Amino acid sequence: MPVITAAIDPITRIEGHLKVEVKVDTVNGVQQVVDAFSVGTLFRGFEKILEGRDPRDATLITSRICGVCPTSHGHAAALVLDNAYGVDGDTPERTAARLLRNLVHGACYLESAILHFYLLALPDFIAGLPMAPWTPGWDVGRRFDPGTVSRFTTHFVEAIAQRRNCHEMGAIFGGKLPHTPGFILGGFTAVASAEDKALFSQYLEPLVAWIESTYVPDTELLASLWSEYLQLGKGPGNLLAFGVFELDNSSQPALLLRRGRIRQGVPGVQPVDTAQIMEQVKYSWYADTDGNLPIAQSDTHAQYPKGAAYSWLKAPRYEGLAYEVGPLAWMTVNGEYTGGIWAMDRHMARAREALKIAQAMRQWLAELPVGQPAYTHRPTPGTATAEALTEAPRGALGHWLQVNDGRIGKYQVVTPTCWNLSPQDDSGQRGPLEQALIGLPVANADKPIEVLRIVHSYDPCLDCATHVTRAEPGAKVFAGRGGTRGRGRTRPSISAVEGRLPRRPRSKPGGLPG
Amino acid sequence: MLNEALANPAAPSVIWLIGSACTGCSVSFLNRISDVAPVDVADVVAKAVNLVFHPTIMGAAGETAVAALKTAYAKGNYILVLEGAVPTAFQGHPCVVWSYKGEEVTFQQAVQELTARATATVCVGTCACFGGIPASGANPTRAMGVRAFTGRPTINISGCPANPDWVVWAIVQLLTNTPVALDEDGRPVALYSKSFTGEDEPPIIHDKCPRNPFNTGTPEAANFGENGHCLINLGCRGPFTKARCNAAWCGIGGHTAGQPHPGHWCIGVNAPCHGCVEKTFPGPQSFSEPYAP
Repeated sequence: MPVITAAIDPITRIEGHLKVEVKVDTVNGVQQVVDAFSVGTLFRGFEKILEGRDPRDATLITSRICGVCPTSHGHAAALVLDNAYGVDGDTPERTAARLLRNLVHGACYLESAILHFYLLALPDFIAGLPMAPWTPGWDVGRRFDPGTVSRFTTHFVEAIAQRRNCHEMGAIFGGKLPHTPGFILGGFTAVASAEDKALFSQYLEPLVAWIESTYVPDTELLASLWSEYLQLGKGPGNLLAFGVFELDNSSQPALLLRRGRIRQGVPGVQPVDTAQIMEQVKYSWYADTDGNLPIAQSDTHAQYPKGAAYSWLKAPRYEGLAYEVGPLAWMTVNGEYTGGIWAMDRHMARAREALKIAQAMRQWLAELPVGQPAYTHRPTPGTATAEALTEAPRGALGHWLQVNDGRIGKYQVVTPTCWNLSPQDDSGQRGPLEQALIGLPVANADKPIEVLRIVHSYDPCLDCATHVTRAEPGAKVFAGRGGTRGRGRTRPSISAVEGRLPRRPRSKPGGLPG
Repeated sequence: MLNEALANPAAPSVIWLIGSACTGCSVSFLNRISDVAPVDVADVVAKAVNLVFHPTIMGAAGETAVAALKTAYAKGNYILVLEGAVPTAFQGHPCVVWSYKGEEVTFQQAVQELTARATATVCVGTCACFGGIPASGANPTRAMGVRAFTGRPTINISGCPANPDWVVWAIVQLLTNTPVALDEDGRPVALYSKSFTGEDEPPIIHDKCPRNPFNTGTPEAANFGENGHCLINLGCRGPFTKARCNAAWCGIGGHTAGQPHPGHWCIGVNAPCHGCVEKTFPGPQSFSEPYAP
């Protein structure tokens, strides 16, 4: 039987634009994925957009990298600015800033987790509501009894309100979500009132209860009913966590979720040294000279077509190894999740991590001082460099800043999805998702729902992952996975909708009322 | 009226396509909450619109998803909602929205064809309306707004992100065949130049700001952290921004106008207005220095 190549494009129910191409063959009587390619299909060039701007704009501009984790970028940018300009000291302002940042960031964490499990991932396991846009969908089988279907459907609808409540809660201090303007160099704009705190609590308490009574048990029920995914979808086995949620005002603060790293086959949790992180670009559409540099010195020169390159994502590697990031990584590194490291473990770890954060938010809210400004002023000298490590809901996030003549000279972002969905590196080592897909049994190669289940377990965010690329004027672009297939081919211009050669646009555009 | 439109099997379907964007406007859309039907996004999708394609929430993937879009396109009776700018560098390849029969289709191609046949096109968010952040600075992908790219009329619901109530409002007007008066930037006058209850009011944020020193005697903040003060020295673009955020972001704050707690908006948390609804957003100017257009 010949190898079937299936491209899923678009991968829906994610953030951003992703194509996944798999090769399917029958091995030992089982039809399964034998090779996989993760292809990001959007770039906007945030790096160039940021260059030349007032460095303080970084919190606002980088928030717009992603509408699902805007506070993670806002927080990372605020941290990198704090580090660059020496915002320090154990002061009431810094306490208020830390707590406000944690509370608004935490609200977005909860929103992202609930959105992900119920709206993005669950439709891979249970037939969607019998209407567009959930129907028609792919066949997900009929493993649930009517009572279970009813339970998940009810919770799906509840989740729509619960995730909105998370954003409404965060907006009490953030002003609006997504894209709060609250995160700034030196602190946070809001000053909490007693009424704000009471209102925040009115949102938070039911959320803690719902996560504990509904979300966490639902992930466990799903895992018990689809227990084969407790044995499918394992990544490289290496786990990396930068850590998040500062608990004190020191320069090396304690974190709610600690920094650390687990290397497969090595006992214990290892420290994280960012000097060991390098991005490799042999299979990415960038000049080879961009690869294997310390992040702060790395650069981005798009080049396509290029050899066997097939993705807009670079391949970040730690000591040359692919690492998985995300809730499973940091819950395991923190010793708070001791199950496996398979697809369903990602869902269960994400839910438990949401509960841990929600409970911690209670404490932060209690500690938040009323009427206390949360801003520490610092002059912004012309030259500075800094790094900041934090986490987004889908994994480790780093921002690197270089200021020249008072303006942003260079800004680098390494996102969690760059780690998880990276292409092969210089040595041909596949990215975590690609590794997780290989060996996955597939019933219908035309509609491989199993592939979606593994992809969604990572909660990919391609908006984040493909933000910092920079295209060179005049570079050629072509379709497909790059040079292996399409080199030198003149790409036919195919009509987007008809799959035929293009027609002239209709001369009479659609009528517009008013 | 809306119920009549919805009961009408001939009511247009809705295609929501995302281009060079952050998905933030879709997330904002999910935050819809209102005192009047459709009250939330579940209500919108279940009862108000036949949303045949939305990449962030739809069940199908790959060619099954594309087929749903093609069916709606073939029928022709659809409202097109576009989120994100149109990158035009490299023949549009900075944003590929789907593959069909092995060929990649760019957002640029899809926009060109889908707008030509749409009953109406609603641009959601400042990127789709005017280019927004992807089109700022060096604009490395030569991104632009939909109207500038296609030359065709659009209803522009600008904002970063777009306010969900405004987005739903625009779709409802189209479903009920209600005329929509637009300003010179293609934005509904009713949303950007009127009060929450529909009366005429100053369209400029600064003119109706509760912190306007001229109207209210509020002191000007010299620095962040000065609670309740006018933010004009910290980069506020309120004097150059036309919108009714003062009323409408209450939806995100969890409370609609008239309720005891009025909800929140950027200025309410001591943050300057960044003018995110304007075609000048973000512009090269600092967000932290006094703003001059």
